[in-house]
Amino acid sequence: MDFVILSLVMLAIGIYGLLTKRDLLKIFISIELIATAATLNFVMLASAMSKGVAQAFLILAFSTDTAVSAVILALLVVVSKKYGTSDISKIVLPEEIESEEESEVGQ
Amino acid sequence: MIPGVLEIVSVGLLISACLAIFLDEAVYSVSALAATFFLTAFLYALADAPFVAIFQFAVGIGTIAVLFLSGEMLSERPETKTKSSTTLAVAGLGGVLSLPAIFFSISSPNEVVTDFSFGDALWNFSAVDVVLQGLVILTVALGITIVLHKRKRIKKRRGVQ
Repeated sequence: MDFVILSLVMLAIGIYGLLTKRDLLKIFISIELIATAATLNFVMLASAMSKGVAQAFLILAFSTDTAVSAVILALLVVVSKKYGTSDISKIVLPEEIESEEESEVGQ
Repeated sequence: MIPGVLEIVSVGLLISACLAIFLDEAVYSVSALAATFFLTAFLYALADAPFVAIFQFAVGIGTIAVLFLSGEMLSERPETKTKSSTTLAVAGLGGVLSLPAIFFSISSPNEVVTDFSFGDALWNFSAVDVVLQGLVILTVALGITIVLHKRKRIKKRRGVQ
């Protein structure tokens, strides 16, 4: 099982970042690390089993990964422009503002 | 292949992955992610997967270029800079995390997977074009990042005055 532990450790680092970091850019970096760990596992297993065809499928996986990254990044830019911050704990949804205003009026 | 290269690359890979997650400044974090991508590409090249290595390199360049741009647009400056002791501690953490990977799993990939060499993939199959296009995109993105950074500085100065 060559390189399986290496890719598992990388996956763990990515998941840790995804769960603990609040900055949108860090979350994106964590997702990238998770994707890289998955690809690393696939390439190394294919290499160990001497399957050259796997490289062709990997290029397809790269394209999908890049497209996903582009969509995530576009969403990040839109969210940070709309709410003025890249910290997810500071993002306030419109419904929350309305409910806060209603509670203030009620008091 | 020189013995021990795979282990060194693996340690570097995990250290740079840890730094990418834990460093506070966006530029340093993205640079660490770039190191992760390039070390991964190097690992693929060592594992006798030249096309995957070249594509990882090109995709890595593209992602890093876009990340530099968006990092410049999105990131707010952290109040405190990351201390060098913290950076060293994170690098040490990466080194410790790489120990099980080295001692329990890494071994040299099997011999001869593909029937063409890395040089063949670069020159005969024109993969060098893809890499050069990626480098051009990276250069343009870095130029735009520097211009944006300078504009931000000028705006801040005017705001202060």
